[in-house]
Amino acid sequence: MDKELNIKYNMTDEELFAPVDHNELESEKITAPRYSYWRSVFRVFFHHRINIIILALFLFIIIFAYVYPTIIHYDSEVNPFINLMNPESKHLSPAEAMNMFGKNIHWILGAGASGESTFDSIWYGSRISISLAFICAAINMTVGVFIGAIWGFSKKVDIFMTEVYNIVGNVPLILIISVMAMLFTPSFWTMVFAMTIIGWLGIAYFIRTQVIIIRDREYNLASRCLGTSTVKIALKNILPFMTSVIVTMLATELPSYISYEVFLAYIGMGMSEMSLGRLIYSAEPAMVTPGWEMEFWSPVAIASIITVVLYVVGQNLGDASDPRTHM
Amino acid sequence: MGKYIIKRLLHGLFSVICVVLIVMVLIYSLLDRSKIFAGDPNYNHTASNNRVTYEQSRYEAFGYLDYVPYSDYINSLVKSGELTDADRASVAKIGNTPEKDSELAAKYIQQFTDYYNSKGYTVTRLDADLKRNGQIRDGGQPVLFASRDIPLYMRAIKYFTTMFQFDNIHHVSDDIDIGERKLTFTLRDPVYNPTGTEKVFAPAIMGNGTLHKYLLYFDGRFPFIHQNFLTINLGESYTVNRGVDVFTTMTATQGSYVLSTMTFPTGNVLDRADDLHTATYIQNSRDATDINRQRFVDDYTNVLTFKNGMSKIGYSFVIGIFSVIMAYILGLPIGLLMARFKEGILDKIGTVYIMFIIAVPSLAYIFLFKAIGGSVFHLPTLFNMDSGDKLMYILPIVSLALPSIANLMKWMRRYMIDQMNSDYVKFARSGGLSEMEIFTKHIWKNALIPIVHGIPGSVIFAMTGAIITERIYSVPGAGNLLTQAINKYDNGVIVGVTLFYAVLSVVSIILGDVFMSMVDPRISFTDKAR
Repeated sequence: MDKELNIKYNMTDEELFAPVDHNELESEKITAPRYSYWRSVFRVFFHHRINIIILALFLFIIIFAYVYPTIIHYDSEVNPFINLMNPESKHLSPAEAMNMFGKNIHWILGAGASGESTFDSIWYGSRISISLAFICAAINMTVGVFIGAIWGFSKKVDIFMTEVYNIVGNVPLILIISVMAMLFTPSFWTMVFAMTIIGWLGIAYFIRTQVIIIRDREYNLASRCLGTSTVKIALKNILPFMTSVIVTMLATELPSYISYEVFLAYIGMGMSEMSLGRLIYSAEPAMVTPGWEMEFWSPVAIASIITVVLYVVGQNLGDASDPRTHM
Repeated sequence: MGKYIIKRLLHGLFSVICVVLIVMVLIYSLLDRSKIFAGDPNYNHTASNNRVTYEQSRYEAFGYLDYVPYSDYINSLVKSGELTDADRASVAKIGNTPEKDSELAAKYIQQFTDYYNSKGYTVTRLDADLKRNGQIRDGGQPVLFASRDIPLYMRAIKYFTTMFQFDNIHHVSDDIDIGERKLTFTLRDPVYNPTGTEKVFAPAIMGNGTLHKYLLYFDGRFPFIHQNFLTINLGESYTVNRGVDVFTTMTATQGSYVLSTMTFPTGNVLDRADDLHTATYIQNSRDATDINRQRFVDDYTNVLTFKNGMSKIGYSFVIGIFSVIMAYILGLPIGLLMARFKEGILDKIGTVYIMFIIAVPSLAYIFLFKAIGGSVFHLPTLFNMDSGDKLMYILPIVSLALPSIANLMKWMRRYMIDQMNSDYVKFARSGGLSEMEIFTKHIWKNALIPIVHGIPGSVIFAMTGAIITERIYSVPGAGNLLTQAINKYDNGVIVGVTLFYAVLSVVSIILGDVFMSMVDPRISFTDKAR
C-alpha cells in the first residue's frame, strides 16, 4: 500500500477504501451550473455594447433632470432664471445670450420668451414630465397587471370586464382628461389621476389575453392535475413567462405618457406646471419667427431624446428578460 | 350570419348608449354648469337681474332645467281666458319689492308661487337693483320666475328620443293656417322651373306643413339625391357654432359664398348664394322683413347657402382616405419585404423608422416634417380653403400617413414572421416550393387576414380627422371639434361628437369582423360552424 497516501490523509487503508453511502435522495438531484434569472438578464443586457451607451445616456438625462435643477436652485419665478424686466434679454440665440450673460452652461440654448434660460427650464420641465411618466406607469402597470391576471383566470370576471372594456374603450380619453382638468385645477396630480383612471384598462386587457394564452398550456394543465394551487400557478408558472412581456410593454408605456402629456399641453389641456409639453406649447409662436426657432426645437428635441432612450432601454431590457435569450 | 350581425349591432347599440350616459354624467353632473357661459359673448352684455334671467333661459335651452318666468304664466292665463287682456298689464307689473306690489298683482304672484311650489319648482323673486339715487340700474328690473332642475335620466331619455326627427305635415303647429297640408310629388322642381314655363326634368317631393319645404330633391352636389324626411339631431351647439346641431356643424359646407344668378319663388332675379332646396319654415318670417317679402311666396324662408369649401367631415375624409390608401400601399409591401429579408438592410432601416414613430412624440415629428416639407420641397404648409391649390393637401396627407405606415409595417412584419415559422411553410419548403412561391402563394395571404380586420376601421375613422395634424396645418376639419368644444365648454357638442365616435367605432369593429370572415373561409360567425 502507498504509505504516502495514508500519511497525507491521515487515514488507514480500511478508511480509505470504505464504500460510500448510497443516498437515494442525493442521486435524484440534478447538478447544473448555477442559474440566477436576474443575473442572466443583466449579463445579456450588457453583452450588447450599444445598451451601455444608451444606459449612460439615460443616466445623464436622469442626472440633469433631477440633480441639475436642485444644484442651481431652479425656481421659474425668481431671477436669474427669469429676466422679465429686461426687454433686451428675451428671445436670444445662444451666441447673443452668451455675449450678454457670459459663457455659461445656462445659455447654451439661448433665452426664452421671458428672458429665462432655455436650458434650465427644459431640464426642470423634463423632471416633471419624467416623473409624470414614471408615476403613471407605476400605477397603471401595477393595477393593470393585477386586474389583468384575475381577469384572465376567472371566466366570470372575464364576461363582466370584457363588457366594461368595450364600453369604456369608446369614451374618448381626451374627454375624461379634460373633464378632470375642468373639475379640479389642472395640477400634476390631477393629470396623474386623469391618466390612470382608465389607463390601466388597456394594460389589463393585454395581460388578460396573454394569461389566457399561457393558462391553458399543457404544462399548466399538468401542474393543476398535480394539485398546484392557482396562486402558485400564477406566480411560479405564468409570471416568469410574463416578465419579458411586461417589461416590453413598459417600454412603450413610459414614452407614451410623455408624448401624451406633450399632446395634451399642445391642444391647451395640459397641467399648470411647466412641463415639457407646456414649454413646447408656449414656445409654438416662436417656431415661425426667424431666429427664435431654438426655443421651440430644443424642448421638442429633448422630449424626443428622452422618449427614444426610455423606449430603447425598455425594449432591450424586455428582450434580455426573456429566458430564451439566456442560452 | 345575419342573425349574428343583428345581435352584434344590438350589443353595439347598448354600449353606445352606455358611453353617452357616462359622458352625460361626467359633463352634466360633475361639471359646474355656469361654465357654459365662458364662451358666450352675450353673457357679458347682461347685468344684474337680467343676467340671472338670461342664465335661466340658457339653462332651459340646453336642457338643464324647466324655467317659467312670471310673464309666461300671465300670458297663459290670458290665453285660457282666466284673465282679461285689460288686466294683463297691471297683473304683470311686479313691484320693486314685495311690499310695493299692487293688490291685484300680489294676488296673482301668490297664486303663481303656490302653483309652481306645488309642482316642485323653486320660485325665485329678485327685488329691483337700485342705484343710490333710487333709479333702477341697467337690467335691474325686479324679476319673478320658477325653475326646476331636470334630472339626468330624463335628460338622457329626451336626448335619445329626439335624436331622429321625422318631418311630417303636422310639424307646423295646427293653430296656424298654412293652407292645405300635404306632400306633393312633382317632376318639375320649382327651383329649376321658377317661372313655370321651362320644362326642366327634376323630380322632387315637396311638403306643406312640414319643417322642410323640399323633402326629396336632386342637385349637382354629392350625393346628388338629398332627403329631408329624417333629420339627425345630435345636440345643439352653444358656443362652437351657436344654435346649430352638431351633425349639421360637421356636414355643412364652409368657406366663402358662391354667388350665382338665381330666380327666387317670387320671380325676383338676384345674384345670391342661397340654396333654395334647404328652405325651412319659420313662423311669420315672410312678413318680418322686406327682403323676404320680395323673394319668397310663403314662410319657408330660412335657407342655407352655397359655399366653395367642403364640410368639416369632407376635408377630414379627403385627407384621411388618401393617407389610409398611402399607408396601405407603402406599409404592407415594406413590412412584407422586411420579413422576407429579415435582418437585412431594409429590415434594420424599417425597424429604426418604427421605433422613431413609436417613441418620438407625434407633435415633434409632424412639426419636423412640416419644416422639411416647407423649406426643402417648398410645399404649402398652411391650408387655405379659397386657394383651390391641390398641393396644400400633400403635407397633411403624408403627415397623417407616417404613423399608420409604421404601424402597418410593424404588424405586417410580425404576422409574416409568425407565419414563416409555422409547420405548413416548412412542409411547403420540403415539398420543393421556391421561397418566392411560398411567399406569394401562402404566407402573405395568411398574414393579411388580421390586417384586413383593421381596414373598415381605418376608412371610417378617416372621417373623424386628426387633432394634431389638422391643428398644425390649420385644416378646417372635424378633428378639432371635440377639443374646441371642450375648450369652450360646449356640452351639447361634446355629447354629440362622443356619440358619433362611439357609433363609428362599433360599426367599424363589426364591419372588420365581417370582412375578415369574408376573406378567410375558416372564420365563421354562425353557431353551426363553431
